[in-house]
This record gives sequence, C-alpha cells and structure tokens, in this order.
Amino acid sequence: MHGVRQRSTEGGRRGSRLAKLLKYAAVGKVTIRNHLAYVTDFFIRSIFLIIILYIFIQLWNTTFRGEGTELIAGYSFEQIIWYLIFAESFVIACPSLSTKIEEEVKSGDIGYKLARPVSYLWFHYAGYMSEVFIRMPINLAVGGMLGILVLGPPGFGWGWPGFLLVSVGAFTINFLLNMMLALCAFWVEETRGLEFVYHKFLFTVGGMLMPLELFPQVLQKVCAWLPFQAIVYFAARTAVSFDAEAMWRMLGTQAFWIAGLGAALMFIYRKGVSKLHVNGG
Amino acid sequence: MAAIEISGLSKTFLVKNKKPGLRGSIQSLFKPQFTRKVAVRSIDFQVDQGETVAFLGPNGAGKSTTIKMLTGILHPSEGRAEVLGFCPWKDRKHLAYHIGAVFGQKSQLWYHLPPTDTFELMSRIYELKRGEYMARRNELVRRFGLEPYMNTPVRKLSLGERMRCEIAASLLHRPRILFLDEPTIGLDVVVKQQIRQLIREMNREEGMTVFLTSHDPGDIEQLCNRAIVINHGQMILDDTVANMKREYLTYKTIELKLAEEAKDVSLHGVKVLAQHECTLRLSVNTSLTTIEKTLSDMLRRFRIRDVTIEDPPMEEIIARIYAKSAVHKQSGVLTGK
Repeated sequence: MHGVRQRSTEGGRRGSRLAKLLKYAAVGKVTIRNHLAYVTDFFIRSIFLIIILYIFIQLWNTTFRGEGTELIAGYSFEQIIWYLIFAESFVIACPSLSTKIEEEVKSGDIGYKLARPVSYLWFHYAGYMSEVFIRMPINLAVGGMLGILVLGPPGFGWGWPGFLLVSVGAFTINFLLNMMLALCAFWVEETRGLEFVYHKFLFTVGGMLMPLELFPQVLQKVCAWLPFQAIVYFAARTAVSFDAEAMWRMLGTQAFWIAGLGAALMFIYRKGVSKLHVNGG
Repeated sequence: MAAIEISGLSKTFLVKNKKPGLRGSIQSLFKPQFTRKVAVRSIDFQVDQGETVAFLGPNGAGKSTTIKMLTGILHPSEGRAEVLGFCPWKDRKHLAYHIGAVFGQKSQLWYHLPPTDTFELMSRIYELKRGEYMARRNELVRRFGLEPYMNTPVRKLSLGERMRCEIAASLLHRPRILFLDEPTIGLDVVVKQQIRQLIREMNREEGMTVFLTSHDPGDIEQLCNRAIVINHGQMILDDTVANMKREYLTYKTIELKLAEEAKDVSLHGVKVLAQHECTLRLSVNTSLTTIEKTLSDMLRRFRIRDVTIEDPPMEEIIARIYAKSAVHKQSGVLTGK
C-alpha cells in the first residue's frame, strides 16, 4: 500500500513544477478553443458595448456642456469617454462564474473535476483568465473604434502597459470575489441573485459607472476600503491618466486584496467541498 | 493486497421538505423543515487488486453515493476508507493520479471540441510524459476504434461513440482502479459488448481493478467476478457472480406472440405469467429446464410469430435477495466468502 503512495512519479509522469504549470496552461488553451464556438455571443456583446458607449457619450457630452468646464474632477471629456470604454470592455470581458459553477453542481459534472488531480480553484482561474484575455482585446478593439471615430486617436503612452499590468491583478480580484459567491452553490445551488447584487456594487462603488473621483468625498473614503475599486477603477484610471507612483500603490493594494481574498476563498472552498451534495446517481 | 478497504462508511443527507403550493413555499422560506436521509449506512468491504466487482442495487440504494465517497468527491458522515492506501476525501488529488472514473450520465469531454483535445488536456492534467502519452493514446484509439472521429466535435458523436471516448480518456494514465458508474446506460447491444470486451482485456492485461455499478445483468455477468448488493444504504449480499447467478438468476421471461390462442400450456419448469389472446408470457426456471427446450416444445405445438427473451429485472433479483436476507437476518450479510 505504501508503495503506491511513494511512487507518485511513476507511470510516465513528470511530477515537476513545470508539469503543474503546463497543466493549467493546457486548461486555458482548451477553454479558449471551446469558447471560440460561441462566436455569436461575442458579436452580441460587442453590439451591446457599442450601444451602451454611445449612450454614455451623449450623456457626458450633455453633462460637460451643462457644467461649462473643460475638466470635471480632473477628467476631460475625452478621458471620461476613454475611461468608460476601458471600464465597459473590462466588465463585458468577464465570464459568469456563478452560471458555470451552478450548472456544474446542479448537473453533477463537478464530480469529474473533483476526481482529477487538479485544483478546482486553479482550474477555474486558468479558464477564467484565458477567456478574459481573449475577450478583452476584442472588446477594446470594438470600443476603441467608436472612441477613435468620435474623439480621434488616443495618446495614452505608458497608460497601455500600465493598464495591462494592473488588469492582471484586477481580473484576479474579480475572479476571487466572483468565485466566493459562486461557491455558495455548494450550499444553495442557486447563486445568480448574489452575482446580480455583486455586479451592482461593481457598477457603482467599483467605478464602472464613472471614475471614483466624481463621487462625494465621504463615499470616496468608503470606496478606498473596499476591494471593488481595485478592479475596474484601478485598471481604467491607469490607462487614461497614467501616474507611475499611483500605479505602484494600486499594485500594492491589489496584492493585499489578492492575499486576503485568496485565503478567504480557500477557507470557503474547503468548507463547501465537505458539504457538497453531488447531484445525479 | 487490498485496493479498496472500507469500514463503517456512512453518508447522511439533510433534505429540505417543501410543502406543495405557494403557501407551502413561503412557509418553507421562514420555517424550513429537513429530513435526514441515510444514503449509505455503515458498509464494510474489501476489494483486492485486480478484482472486478459489480456494485449493485435498485435506484436510490446508495451505489453512486458510495462511488463518490471512494473517489473523494463526497465526504462521508462516518467511517473510514482506504483506496490504494489513500483516504479518498483527504488525499483526493494524490489518489486521483491512480484512479479513473466514468459516470455514465455525465461527460468529461469538451462539448464543442474533438476528443483529441480532451485527450491532450488529460495528458497535461495527469502530467504524462509526451512519448508515453502518445504511445498510450495511439494504443487506446486503435483498440477502441476511435480513429474515424478523433477530430469530430463531441457534440456530433453518437452516444456509443462518445462513451468509447469517455472510457478511453479515463484509461490514458493507466489507472490502478477504474470506477464505472452505469457506463453502458442507453447504449445498444453491440456497443455494450465492445465496451465490456475492452474493459475485460484491460483488467486481464494490466491488472486494473474494476468497480462497476450497473442495472444491466449483462455488465455483471460478462465483466465481474464478484457482486456486492446494496439496498436502502445497507449491504445485503457479497458473493461471487457465479454463486449469485446460480441462486438468484434462475429464471428468464419469454414473451411469445402466437398465430392462434394457446390452450393448455403445461411444460416442465415453465409457469404461465400472463395470457392475453395470442400473447403469452412465460417464466422459465433455468435450473429445471432450458430456454432452447422450452422454445422447441412451444414451436412443436404452436405457430410463433415473435419471441422476446428477458432477464429478470435487477429490482426483482434484489427483491429476492432481500427476501432471502430477511430469513437469514441474524447472520447479517449474505456472503459466499
């Protein structure tokens, strides 16, 4: 019996860190390939993106004309619009973890994932990040075309690499928060209501509707203590108003939230997996 | 050496009671009521390396719950288990390298992608060396006859083709134990035969332990040398398949459509179960006579339009086993060991 436990690298297995990395890279690759079957979904989301951005452009145009100023809370009209393009592109790029995990629990397919030598959380993280890094450039390209048409080509300079760097942490925090909600399916099976509430938080105090500088001071102080600002607001603001010092502070804040939320997620997962009722017989 | 060893394994679920109607649903929100459902009740058994075991029982008996605990998917309420020296729910990821699982009504293949993509993913998940994976993959593709559709999206495959791919995918990493949860459900006779033959060969050539749940007597008779029967979460039989067949599968049902109404059907070892105009349903006791003799006697006396031969349903076999176990109540599990 002990012989089986010790021979963990027999049977032609690598058993190395590289092998573990390749494992999750392969998950990402297959997720992307599987996702390309949903081309119609891409188109529908892109059309929605154009419509919503057009509406925002009209709203902010009216707002700036009404205020009669060049800047509102330090943002020009062009910066606000590009901020919204980045913010909307970011949010629309995120797949619904609650739907995925709810379906897995209800159908019993989760059984297959748990019977494999793969971390359930890392499996979903690899799939999630692969999807967003395909969808995000497409969304930005579509939204960017509208932006260029209305405002002309942007000049973000270091904003582009800064956005990319901050996006990694932003998507990770979004994954962690969504996963914590999605894992409630282990107890209650239905989680889309929780996801809906989360999206509303992201829309408001997360900076998706507008940059947080436009909020009242009191609310800005509250937002500074919440993880939502580290998602959409950090990424979009870095793109349109790049500041190296601010970016490093943002990355530090993201690291803090990733560590804390990661630990909380592990705890929830361990509790949930022991209570799980895998459907189907 | 024991591949599987379980002792006092139990699983209890809390099931919410929902009263009918809108009022019931609202009441259930504020004052939920739960029932304790015992799915598995303190079962003990041991399976040696290389054995082929049929784990049987009617719907809701606790078969799938037991398999899920043995694969680490579910945590038990009580008891202990060791699978290849690992505690399944504590060492799930380590154990997973050494076991394979196929759940008949679920799929591990990626729906929009061809099976080759899932196989490739499995090779990475199980951390297989490239050369060994390619050799193993080619061998399984050849043996399971998968060449024609390795590059066809899974959504376009028939059920039989898909199940062959599912089983092949679960064998890529040379598991020591293969858990099969109703693997032949919904498949036609030909595909069932192919799958059974392939699993038998894997067991013979690689010494792989097979732990199977099924309602199909053919799966049991052709694949397994031992049967464990569970009902209402409790083990009620643990015996060789040969003994079980001898004692319990002692009759078959024949349905005959005759050209004319039959009068006075009286044959040794044959009982008339039902008769309606030209349709006759007979129970043949195979320990007293044979199907061939019964049919030839009937052919001599009547003109037969159609014949259907059926094994007794598993529920009926279990009912007979349970009835017998009630007689032997004091001696506990019926065992031929």
